[in-house]
Amino acid sequence: MSTEDWRRIDLYAPTPEHRAFRDTLDEFVEREVEPQAAEHDRNETFNHDLFRRAADLGLLGVTLPEEFGGADLDATAAVILYEALSSSDPGFALAVLAHSILFAQNVNVNGNDEIRQHVLPRAISGEWIGGLCMTEPEVGTDVLALRTQAKRDGNDYLIDGRKTFITNGGIDEHTLGDVFVVYAATGEREISAFVVEKGMGGLSLGQHWKDKLGMRASFTAELVFDGVRVPATNRMGAEGEGTLAMMRNLEIERLTLAAMSVGIARRCVSVMLDYAGQRKTFGVPIREHGQVQRYIAESFAEYRAAASLVFDVARRFDLSQTGQRIEADAAKLFACQVAKRAADAAIQVLGGYGYMGEYVVQRLWRDAKLLEIGGGTLEAHQKNLVKDLSRDPARVRA
Amino acid sequence: MKIMVCLKQVPHQDARLDINADGTWIQEDNIKFEINSYDTYALEEALRTKDAGEADVFVVSIGPDRVGQALRTALGMGADRAIHVNDDEANGSDSLGLAKILAAVAKQENPDLIFMGLMSDDDNSAAVAPMLAQLLDIPHTTAAVKVERSNGTVTCDREIEGGAHEVVELTAPCLIAVQTGLNQVRYASLKGIMAAKKKPFDVKSVADLGLSGQVGTGAAKVKIDRIAPPLKGDTAEILSGSTAEVVAGLVSKIKELGLL
Ligand SMILES: Cc1cc2nc3c(=O)[nH]c(=O)nc-3n(C[C@H](O)[C@H](O)[C@H](O)COP(=O)(O)OP(=O)(O)OC[C@H]3O[C@@H](n4cnc5c(N)ncnc54)[C@H](O)[C@@H]3O)c2cc1C
Repeated sequence: MSTEDWRRIDLYAPTPEHRAFRDTLDEFVEREVEPQAAEHDRNETFNHDLFRRAADLGLLGVTLPEEFGGADLDATAAVILYEALSSSDPGFALAVLAHSILFAQNVNVNGNDEIRQHVLPRAISGEWIGGLCMTEPEVGTDVLALRTQAKRDGNDYLIDGRKTFITNGGIDEHTLGDVFVVYAATGEREISAFVVEKGMGGLSLGQHWKDKLGMRASFTAELVFDGVRVPATNRMGAEGEGTLAMMRNLEIERLTLAAMSVGIARRCVSVMLDYAGQRKTFGVPIREHGQVQRYIAESFAEYRAAASLVFDVARRFDLSQTGQRIEADAAKLFACQVAKRAADAAIQVLGGYGYMGEYVVQRLWRDAKLLEIGGGTLEAHQKNLVKDLSRDPARVRA
Repeated sequence: MKIMVCLKQVPHQDARLDINADGTWIQEDNIKFEINSYDTYALEEALRTKDAGEADVFVVSIGPDRVGQALRTALGMGADRAIHVNDDEANGSDSLGLAKILAAVAKQENPDLIFMGLMSDDDNSAAVAPMLAQLLDIPHTTAAVKVERSNGTVTCDREIEGGAHEVVELTAPCLIAVQTGLNQVRYASLKGIMAAKKKPFDVKSVADLGLSGQVGTGAAKVKIDRIAPPLKGDTAEILSGSTAEVVAGLVSKIKELGLL
């Protein structure tokens, strides 16, 4: 590769397909996502129609195989998608991510051909809305301690327990989500992964978590498993391989959540830059004031640093392999804090207007906080990073 | 039916435009480009014809490598194939030069319909479409805001002064240069973008079209001498005072200048 070619590489949209995809997303976001975002945040509702539109455009199957209707694209394409959606409506982005990455991508890497054949075409077309059930009322970070039990019963398993904070657990107040990957204990500190479908007796929608701080356009619910009968053929991998299954999908989950953070940060920088050019105090636009400049400049620098990190990790990412946990954890650990700081700076720059819903950044501020908790807390990333780096100190160097 | 759509890639509407060193055009490095807005409506109109029946829709553009992206987007939206005239010899062509290149492509392809934008967002000259029709000796119309096809003829509403519409009927083969807003332009779906990778994409030179020496800077009858932002003058008069005073001042000014 010549120096000239190297200089021309666009890390953020390296191929013509990435560029065309980003252009499509920019238009989709402007015309269809942005106009509905405030309302669904206010009403705490998931926009099922918009989800179907996303399916029409192929957005639900970006990383999934073409034979099932997906586009079979790489992690960079997934990052482009979640960055774009999240720059306007992180709540909706989270719902799509829970469906496509936490659920469908999980089935794609962990399910056998039969399960993939059964699930993926329906998930990619948007006929089914999926989610991932890991967290329980008493267990979050400490997943190995989960209490939901799956007991073998002939050719089936019977699942008992409760899962909570499940994104897409419901579609609306009365409608359960369609299909879930569920982690349940099949022995002492032994976890297995199952695909559980609506209609399997004993599965019901529990509490809808209302009044969330942010991400209100995603539906968060508790699911109750009361002797849910699941055929053994719906188990992904062997008994006890649930932890491995979890690990296999965790990296892309974190990377795409990091991408959402980048989208939030970008939007906040744009909003504050624009506002600071228009708002005047003491006879000059506020962008002339050094303290305001500091908010904008620091946020911009941090946003660009986060974008570089996230897209660079995406560039190296191999969706069929593990081994990038260090990079994925680092990307999310950094980017989610950048998003929160940028949103905070944006509110400050907008003053009282920043505090008002109409000016968007307060919604992004509320949404950004989730990224420090969901898909692994800040503390979980910090612990993982130090553990993994200590095991392989050579990976410190970029 | 065969439909040709002419596309131009122009600087993105949000791009910051700076004048280049010799003052003859804008600085093109590091700015974002997009398909000329008028042309996206032309493409959409062609794709609707295809959706309604059978049509082979091909897109044509003239320009450097970057123009490939505009053509790929068009393929992603649903065009069947692309022709990219990518040749330094075409640089500096005036409207007539561009029309000659497009005419040469049209002569090789023999389309039944040619759709293009009324004008380009950057040059605003609105000259290429009528010139192209003239070179091909086919009927044309401009500023079309509604297009209806029935076997062999095309009926167009075109926008004229004062908000009135003129209805014209054309016999194919013909050329229609569209106004913006006549349809809702689709996006390239992800499926479309992936499918575009496998669609035919021809690159042609000026020589391939038999036009060596006839287009480009040398042949241009219109040359850009200099581009410059409008000069800031002191001819503006700013009215001050209360709202009532300002309004009264404005009204007397309008009367004084005989504007109404
Ligand atoms: C809006 C939303 C959507 C969600 N969507 C889903 C979903 O779709 N599916 C799903 O399964 N879950 C989902 N979750 C749950 C989320 O993944 C968990 O909240 C998260 O993993 C943290 O678990 P916890 O809430 O039980 O906190 P805990 O694990 O109880 O942690 C509480 C605090 O203690 C810290 N802590 C815990 N252990 C340690 C330790 N060993 N060392 C240091 N500090 C520690 C944590 O970092 C945290 O600060 C969602 C949560 C929210 C808020």
